[in-house]
Amino acid sequence: MHPVAWIVWATCAGLVAFTTTDPFYLGLVVAVSWVVYAAQRIPGPTARSFRVFAIAGLVTMAVRTALVFFGTVDAGSVAFAFLEGARLATLLVVFGTFNAVADPFGVVRLAPRRFHEPALAAALALSIAPRTIAMVGTVREAQRLRGIHPRAWRGLPALAVPVLETGMEEAVTLAESMDARGHGRGRRSRYRPDRWTVGAVVTIAGALLAAGVFLAAGFGDWGGLHPPTFPIGWPEADPVLLLAVGLLAIPAVLPAQTPRVDVIGTGGER
Amino acid sequence: MTRVPAGLRAVGLSLVLLLPAFAPAAVGSASVCAAAATGSPHAALVVDTGARVSTYCVALDGGSVSGIRLIELASEQHGLGYRLGFGGQAVCQLEGVGPTGSDCFADFPDFWGYWHGTSGGWTWASSGAGSATVEDGDVEGWSWGSGDSGTTHPAPPATSIDDVCVADEDPATPPGDDGGGGDGGGGGSGGSDGGPGDPGDGGTPSAKPSGGGGGGPQGEHQGSGDHPDDEDPGVTPTATASTDESEDGSTLAAAPVTDGGGGPPAGGLLAVGAIAVLIGAGAVLLRRRSAGGG
Repeated sequence: MHPVAWIVWATCAGLVAFTTTDPFYLGLVVAVSWVVYAAQRIPGPTARSFRVFAIAGLVTMAVRTALVFFGTVDAGSVAFAFLEGARLATLLVVFGTFNAVADPFGVVRLAPRRFHEPALAAALALSIAPRTIAMVGTVREAQRLRGIHPRAWRGLPALAVPVLETGMEEAVTLAESMDARGHGRGRRSRYRPDRWTVGAVVTIAGALLAAGVFLAAGFGDWGGLHPPTFPIGWPEADPVLLLAVGLLAIPAVLPAQTPRVDVIGTGGER
Repeated sequence: MTRVPAGLRAVGLSLVLLLPAFAPAAVGSASVCAAAATGSPHAALVVDTGARVSTYCVALDGGSVSGIRLIELASEQHGLGYRLGFGGQAVCQLEGVGPTGSDCFADFPDFWGYWHGTSGGWTWASSGAGSATVEDGDVEGWSWGSGDSGTTHPAPPATSIDDVCVADEDPATPPGDDGGGGDGGGGGSGGSDGGPGDPGDGGTPSAKPSGGGGGGPQGEHQGSGDHPDDEDPGVTPTATASTDESEDGSTLAAAPVTDGGGGPPAGGLLAVGAIAVLIGAGAVLLRRRSAGGG
């Protein structure tokens, strides 16, 4: 799907999550992200980012809730902190989904010509986290094959050195290959241009509508976007808002995305 | 070949489990449809000094006013005593409680916490009263106490607009009739049947701070004596300063619990069902597509 559609989808899903602390809406956003990820992920190193960000979200939620116990603890304050954490976690999950379903290089190609150099740097930066995660797995596997079982902290240098070294090599190779394809040269590659599809347009329309409904609820003060916590009360679940979140699931019913030919061949199963 | 990681499934499962697990901790809340159906816009102002709770039904002089302007209007209409600080952007003193100088945090850790009313509860205001907007049907709360966030600062007792402003008042009704009606208004303030308003002096006697509590001098903003009580006959003198505040506060706080029924909203079940279906669909999709395309 066109990268612009994914950017709009992620921005709108993020806006929806940002406007509310209601666990019903947030839970639905997470479920929708999960189903979109399942349907549209691009196989390769970035496909892991959903899991990584989901775990990061759970940690965030736990930390945010745990912070309450340094102050006055009652049901309301715990619920308040939990819901704030849930909102952050949902934002992380949305971002993880975006990373897993959108081709980062397709996104970078959208940058105006003048900003190609920074965009190239951004593309490299974007690719580093998933590549490093993949690399850690590879290095550990290689170590296990050689009968080495590095323990937590003492084994860190043995793990870090090859990971950093390979990461550096890969980054240089990536930069060279992008350079060879005309990135950052002031002329745009016409190789496999992104196509606008009906699905992409519908995705954008649905996402904009969802975000619009939530912003309207936020400004119009309806739908119970922020459940009462002093005293604690049942969160609302307005069917209109639930339906609006459901609009974000449109990409899940579109045909699966075909993996792009990866620049340095790290795509596919590892 | 299935690349559905066990951790991912655990994430999905825990999300499903967390929602119902969280839910029983909550209690029912009254559905407050802030339908101030009256012609002129009104907002409710709740002032909790820690020793007593006063509520004011304030007529707005525009579509939306700032939180500071609401206090000024309450002073003009009901004689609420107040002092501002930090260039008129912060609230130092309400009803004689609070620092007398222009440093509103002179009594820190005690200060006036600012709350926005939600349906049946309060949320901690994230921005100052000078930049907050108050509209028709809103409930604004100020509570004196310590704690620098919504999790630690004491909140005022739960109040809805209907507790403070009588919804179906007739503007043509003489104010004298409204005095009693306003008092019994939301059903929550049954204990405070103290001040049926005399048409002549509006809500002044009950809303006026005793002055003995904080010992503070009356500020220059003190709207003493010159209340334009004839500007809107629809404004009921509902400034019921409840003298038996603990009783009043508890009934107000308990009201949403009793009539909420304790059950989750129907939409909540719909949401939980939709979440479960989506997570199941995602798991199936992930397995099928990774098996097919892997």
